Amino acid sequence: MDLDAARQTYIIEARELLEAMEEALLALEEAGDPTEPVNAMFRAVHTIKGSAGLFGLDGIVHFAHTVESVLDRVRGHQVALEGELIGLMLEAHDHLGGLIADLQADQPESPASRLQGEQILARLAPHLGGGLTKAAPQAPEAPEGAVREGWHLSIRFGRDVFRNGMDPLSFVRFLGTLGRITHLTSIFSSLPQREAFEPEDCHLGLEIELDTAASRAAIEDVFEFVREDSLIQLVPPNALVEDYLRLIRALPEEERFLGEILVAGGCLTAHELSQALAVQKQEARQEGARLLGTILIEDNAVPPPVVAAALDKQKKAAERQTQELRVIKVSADKLDRLVDLVGELVIAGATAHARAAAAQGGGGLLEATQTVNKLVEEIRDNALSLRMVQIGETFNRFRRIVRDVSKELGKAIELEIHGAETELDKTIVEKLSDPLMHIVRNAIDHGIEPVDVRQARGKPESGTLFLQASHEAGSIIIEVSDDGGGLNKDRILAKAIERGLVRADAELTDNEIINLIFEPGFSTADAVSNLSGRGVGMDVVRRNIDELRGTIEVETAPGQGTTMRMRLPLTLAIIDGFRVEVAGASYVAPLDVVIECLDLAPFLESEENHLINLRGEVLPFLRLREVFRIPGERPRRERVVVIQHGELRAGIVVDRLMGEFQTVIKPLGRLFRGARGLGGSTILGTGEVALILDVAQLVQLAAEGTAAPSRRALAAPTH
Amino acid sequence: MAELIKFSKRQTQVAAVKVERREQYLAFTLAGETFAMDIRAIREVIQFGGITDVPLMPPFIRGVINLRGAVVPVIDLSVRFGRAATAPAQRTCIVIIELEQGEDTLDLGVMVDNVSEVLSIGESEIEPAPAFGSGIRSEFIAGVAKVGDRFVILLDVNHVLSVEELSEIIG
Repeated sequence: MDLDAARQTYIIEARELLEAMEEALLALEEAGDPTEPVNAMFRAVHTIKGSAGLFGLDGIVHFAHTVESVLDRVRGHQVALEGELIGLMLEAHDHLGGLIADLQADQPESPASRLQGEQILARLAPHLGGGLTKAAPQAPEAPEGAVREGWHLSIRFGRDVFRNGMDPLSFVRFLGTLGRITHLTSIFSSLPQREAFEPEDCHLGLEIELDTAASRAAIEDVFEFVREDSLIQLVPPNALVEDYLRLIRALPEEERFLGEILVAGGCLTAHELSQALAVQKQEARQEGARLLGTILIEDNAVPPPVVAAALDKQKKAAERQTQELRVIKVSADKLDRLVDLVGELVIAGATAHARAAAAQGGGGLLEATQTVNKLVEEIRDNALSLRMVQIGETFNRFRRIVRDVSKELGKAIELEIHGAETELDKTIVEKLSDPLMHIVRNAIDHGIEPVDVRQARGKPESGTLFLQASHEAGSIIIEVSDDGGGLNKDRILAKAIERGLVRADAELTDNEIINLIFEPGFSTADAVSNLSGRGVGMDVVRRNIDELRGTIEVETAPGQGTTMRMRLPLTLAIIDGFRVEVAGASYVAPLDVVIECLDLAPFLESEENHLINLRGEVLPFLRLREVFRIPGERPRRERVVVIQHGELRAGIVVDRLMGEFQTVIKPLGRLFRGARGLGGSTILGTGEVALILDVAQLVQLAAEGTAAPSRRALAAPTH
Repeated sequence: MAELIKFSKRQTQVAAVKVERREQYLAFTLAGETFAMDIRAIREVIQFGGITDVPLMPPFIRGVINLRGAVVPVIDLSVRFGRAATAPAQRTCIVIIELEQGEDTLDLGVMVDNVSEVLSIGESEIEPAPAFGSGIRSEFIAGVAKVGDRFVILLDVNHVLSVEELSEIIG
């Protein structure tokens, strides 16, 4: 039987739960009401254990059970979750993570890991108080004072249980972890005649007597994966004869047969059974006019409030279920495919529109294509928003890192997060986590000073690390800042000269010096620490950010701290573009960087220095023709596109302005990794490929090379 | 060429009789000379046209084309071999080749004067690349085959179009 799909789901779910557990643990370390975090952790571990039982993953069940028991005592205020126990719980969390990773890699647990697990369990043992119960935690829903034993379970598995990749045996196995199975009868009476027999159908039924202290919910949870298409009836311990009667009525098998099973299991005596069946026959003759609930109430079997409460609970459960249904998990591949297709649709829409515009007397057609394009635009926005995720989850991961690393270094560091709800494309979030990691580690390792240094400098003992995200004009800004010592320019320069990155007599601006930290092979850490300082780091960060079509800038003040500011596009897939032409070839600038367009001649300040005067503001400009070494004559009337990137503005001189359009970004591929001034490509309505300008690089080129842009700009290294 | 032919003839006599396996090759011409490539790497052949220049690229990169929504770079093989650029004519084609580079594949277009035929060439008909005489770097040549009374240079696609090497030249 193929359990792989279900197992994959389990692994994904377990990962999410472990993340929730870690978050809860870290939330605990901060002050506040511990009830919710503890409950969240308990739920996480409980579910991991429960589902592990279904797959017969005894190692995980064994480990999680102890963790869960400790957490249960925390929940019951018998043990305080603080200090050492939090650390221990984090270790337990990591160990569980390791077990799940082993499961995914399909390899058995290593002896070292097993030893580690046992050690954690041994250290958890003192927190268990009276000792480990074999059973699951005492569920709060269990009625006070009830004798918790002797549940009767009637299970009729659905036809498709095998097809859904479930193994009935695994449920029995897991029930065994909740308590002791005292009696079990398997039922095959729904098995059809041989001719009609389908080997993949499941016809199994089970009647189980279970001695357990677990709650109804806990027992029901065992059958979570088959609940929908299977018939599962639970009869609590010490149930009334009517309850069994109701059970018998609900089950498809013949009454007498079921009754005998119940008698065999010790739920009913033979006498009770015959009485019950007699009552039932009588009622059947009365045409079953009364509903079961009514029977019970009128017969004084259950007091009305209990029924009302039960109904209320049912309703709530139904509501919860619909809420869960409002969220659908979709594989990222499917979304990517959808966004790709929408991208193609955008191009095809542009083509249709261009053809309609060119067609003679196609007024109605033009209108129609416009409507279509408007809809396509909406679909595009919707499709893209599907891939948008909040950055908070990524940020939260750093709580753990900040905590661990600062402990290791003996520094006191607090992490403050702002703008966790800011949304951006999932692909970007994924690719951002590595560079963020480097930056955060650098800030902790090199940025924030040790406590004694901070005291000497008159700063608060505890350093603060800020992670912030915000939107700005079609981009997202992510900032990592610290209130540490700031970057030491002299040391950076000295190091760069020593490493041969710059010549000793080079004259560099402050900004240029600071940007040296992004050069490959640069590292200023005097001692190579465990965390950073291996000379890989900031150059990798820069490369990763470049790949995302983003930029990174550094702001630093000696003694006050450093801010790393990353500017990233919201999405990698589609942009609004502004098309220009040089020598008949199209180039596209992202529309959100275009400030305005003008004629070159009236605004020209200095041809020699490549400057324009924009209403009193002097801006550098560059000719695309010159930068790209495109042969041919300049037209008489040249146009300027004024673009802004970050703080920098510049003019790009082109032959013609073609207007805005929506476009799908196609990466130029690895072959063009070294292409300068180009950020990608796109396909025009005509089917031609147009190149997308890398505005950041162009602005930089313009700023650097106002005297002779084409040469100096091309020679100047930016990486 | 004369030297090459003589050299090849000697090699033919040396080659022992092997179990004959025949592979298919796509033959094309570049400035009058016939070359062939293993057909398994070739995805399709399209007419030359609709090419967009990429500025600041070395001359062997002719530009990029739109291949059903994918942007594919086009290489001028003649320039890659250190010869003059191919002048587009009526029969100029782009051969689309799928290259395996590590785990991913990369589509690349190769500009040729024209595509002539598909050749079926047996192993025994292939001789190793001559160390000199062809005017093309020897690691680009997988072998030389005699087809009828002609000699065809079989190209080693992975060397001729090594993305590593190409992007190094560009970067």
